[in-house]
Amino acid sequence: MKKITYLLSRGVIALLAAHLIGAAQASSHMDAPLITLDPAANTTDVYAFVQNENGTKSLVTALGVYPFEEPGIGPNKYNFDDNVLYQIHVATGNDVAAGTATLSYEFKFNTTFRNQNTILQSYLGVINDVGDANQNLIQTYTVTKVDHRQGNHRTVLGTGTVPPNNQGIATPFYNQGNDGNNPAKDGVATESELDRYTTETIKNLGGGYFSFAGQRDDGFYGDINAIFDLLQLRSPGKDSQAGFNIHLMALVIPLTELGGDQQIVGVYATTSRRQITILRDETGRRPVRCGDPQLLGPWVQVARQGNPLFNEGLVAIADKDRYSRTSPESDNDLFRRYAVTPELARLINQIIFNGQLPDVETDRTDIAGIFIPDLIKVDLSTDRCRLAGNGTQQGANPDDPGFSRLGTFGGDTLVSQIQPGFGNGVIPGGWPNGRRFGDDVVDIAVTALISNLRVNPPIIRGPAGDGVDFNDVAYNKVFPYESTPQNGRNHSHP
Amino acid sequence: MLLKPEKMKILKKTIGDGRILLCVALVFANAGLFIFSPRTKSKSEAEKIPANAAIFDNPLALVLGPQTGENRTDREISQLQQRIRDGRNVELWLDRLGWAFVAKARESFDPGFYKLAEQCARVIEMRNPQSQEATLLRAHVFQNLHRFKESEMLARRLVQQRGLSFEYGLLGDALMEQGKLNDAVEAYQRMMNLKPDLRAYARAAHMRWLKGDLAGAIEAMQLAVSAASPSDAESAAWVNTRLAFYEFQAGHVDEAEQRCAFALSIQKDYAPTLLLKGKMLLAQSRFREAADALQDAAKLNPVPEYQWTLAEALRGDGCEDEASGIEARLRKHGASSDPRTMALFLATRNESPSTALRLARTELGSRSDVFTHDALAWSLAAAGNLAEAQKEMQRALAEGTEDARLFFHAGVIASQSGHTADAERWLHKASELSQLLLPSERDELQNAAACSAETKAFQPTKPFSLGTDTARKTQPQTKT
Repeated sequence: MKKITYLLSRGVIALLAAHLIGAAQASSHMDAPLITLDPAANTTDVYAFVQNENGTKSLVTALGVYPFEEPGIGPNKYNFDDNVLYQIHVATGNDVAAGTATLSYEFKFNTTFRNQNTILQSYLGVINDVGDANQNLIQTYTVTKVDHRQGNHRTVLGTGTVPPNNQGIATPFYNQGNDGNNPAKDGVATESELDRYTTETIKNLGGGYFSFAGQRDDGFYGDINAIFDLLQLRSPGKDSQAGFNIHLMALVIPLTELGGDQQIVGVYATTSRRQITILRDETGRRPVRCGDPQLLGPWVQVARQGNPLFNEGLVAIADKDRYSRTSPESDNDLFRRYAVTPELARLINQIIFNGQLPDVETDRTDIAGIFIPDLIKVDLSTDRCRLAGNGTQQGANPDDPGFSRLGTFGGDTLVSQIQPGFGNGVIPGGWPNGRRFGDDVVDIAVTALISNLRVNPPIIRGPAGDGVDFNDVAYNKVFPYESTPQNGRNHSHP
Repeated sequence: MLLKPEKMKILKKTIGDGRILLCVALVFANAGLFIFSPRTKSKSEAEKIPANAAIFDNPLALVLGPQTGENRTDREISQLQQRIRDGRNVELWLDRLGWAFVAKARESFDPGFYKLAEQCARVIEMRNPQSQEATLLRAHVFQNLHRFKESEMLARRLVQQRGLSFEYGLLGDALMEQGKLNDAVEAYQRMMNLKPDLRAYARAAHMRWLKGDLAGAIEAMQLAVSAASPSDAESAAWVNTRLAFYEFQAGHVDEAEQRCAFALSIQKDYAPTLLLKGKMLLAQSRFREAADALQDAAKLNPVPEYQWTLAEALRGDGCEDEASGIEARLRKHGASSDPRTMALFLATRNESPSTALRLARTELGSRSDVFTHDALAWSLAAAGNLAEAQKEMQRALAEGTEDARLFFHAGVIASQSGHTADAERWLHKASELSQLLLPSERDELQNAAACSAETKAFQPTKPFSLGTDTARKTQPQTKT
């Protein structure tokens, strides 16, 4: 049996206080049994972190859908679903502890075809610019802010266009050398270096809001297969998401909208579909067109995502679909027990440590503090977080100095102006203080689970991990941050 | 422990049409005759199977049998089988394997894979008698093997115990097939309320269609199409094909053709789409093209509905011998694979009315939906029992289903029964949807309508029949 590799780091111990926002297991790529049948509405990951552009801080949020999206598939492409309501929720003030959304940002999509009399669903030729005559399938979206403090007042922030999926020859500018035969471009450090399609579809919505919606590489990395194969880890691990894309919605939110930076906010996301009545009554029988809101019932939430790995790694099968249907408001009643007595910690202890760590199995108030309610908590009072690029040694687009995929376990910390943290305001530089692209949430989660963070000083065992330490495509250090979508013509899975 | 591949090959060759259902039946019947080769996986499930054991006593050996085929589902099946042989987390992988067999059954139209899925459930239950996953798998298998009462019983147990949306869908399916539409609507609504998705929308569409709400069916199926994923090509092809059918019924031929083309681009050689494509070509009297599509469809899914339609296309194209050959095979094997359609076929051609009646009545014992009532009504009429035929036809029409064949049958039965006004009304409605009928049925409908126009009704004593001389009534095209 291959054990989790772990290295004790005394330096890390000092950083881990009992209130450290801890962790769990594999991201939500194979979570609730029913939602996995509906990939357009199946959330993969939520991101939330502080950025600083030209001296102005803002909150970057992002939601991924379509787990295990095979690049280049056709003719039926992966696209955002016009009949799904995608929402990113932000809680402020007392709403954070209550698990209640203060503001919700809705993404609604609309799909049209230039030419329906062709089998060439997406591309009629090489796409030189987004929306040109060769782009047959056009998706646009509308971002709407819903302010729950003001009677769910709705404000349309603006509309944007979705760039084409990276097919290969049809979409050369996503790929190295602008050649559709080459792999996708690596991450870049500046906006001017971004690929053409991405640049053309970053939308300035005004008032400090920026949005993007489109295909990206799946930036989550981890040996999910091994973790869910009875924790039979291997060295090196295999990145289960390598070579796959997702569809990402990203939104920059100005802090003024949230009430300033002297606070901790909570972020989560949901997807919903329209309920309809099985039978329409006689009066309802009239000519219809798809999507006519008059004929459709209320939105029904079909998926939810906050912190990485919670539903997949901690919530039992019997309750996974319930988690998908419920709000964080009910997390304390319904799901707290899964955090307080995490089954995964018990399994790790029994399978890997032969039961020698009984302290990790029960009374995990530290773990519950992170996940209940299941919002990603972001301290807005810090400087911008450090960003992942192409790694530590890469000249063109290196990781920011001090960046660590392990966040606080790797010494990557920030200073809060509003909480003492580990002392003098020191708090984690990445998840579970927010979540950045590049955070190794699996390793952070496993380390937290096998450690005992409730004693002083905390007992840290690790960092531990799954043997997968980086994403297969480098991240961008500029919005939308997530790496370039994999080329349908040239990509590989390990 | 595995059935040796060469044995399986020989078995299939002996059977003649390599369909797994027959293999399974033969394996069961000859359980003691086959030798199994032990695997050498230590501490694996495979090792626990005694050498020379009969497959009948060891369902695990059956589900681990080698599978031919190289598509995505085949590969998944092989991978899952290997995981089970490895002996870790066996229950989980058996459940996954069961659903992979279900997917394979849907793709291949080979019901033998449902039997394999059932064996997966059996193995899980042997290890864990309380397994709800096994119950769900078994209930789904029963549904697809037309064991609706058993499926309903298991589905009711599941919704009572945990009530997942999929389980309400399964319950609704079982109820619908038994003609309990109101209860089915309730179950489907629970499913929809819990989780609107492709499966819920598709069920809403079908229920609306059954209730005669074609526009509502199109609306719901458009939502299902929107929710389809490239990751599940078969489901995507299925909902696109159903939407194409609705569009075809609505007279939107271009839209229907585009939907069919799209479905086939997602799932190449998808039999239901090829069947619909063939029917649409038949409606345009493009017999040769129809025959080409239907040949492919019937090869993939050699059941009465496909063979009957193919025979009509071949006859229309002037290939009488080929058509007769297809029909001969249909007469030989059709009753076992689809007794209801076989009953309709026989009654339509006025062949063996007693056999048609027996088949329809047997079907009604397990499946009492509007179409079985129609088959029984049509068989009763063919057997000359018009009074009972009238009663059954009323049951078939009771839900308001807008279906050309129902209306055609209702019109002819009403005419034969001397109900002039009813006959005229039903024949008129059938004429409005005549594109959905087979050529021979269309011809007979025209005859009936013409007769009705002359006499305002058929003569009550006039024997109806598309009859054995239907081929002569259908104008063959000259082959060039």
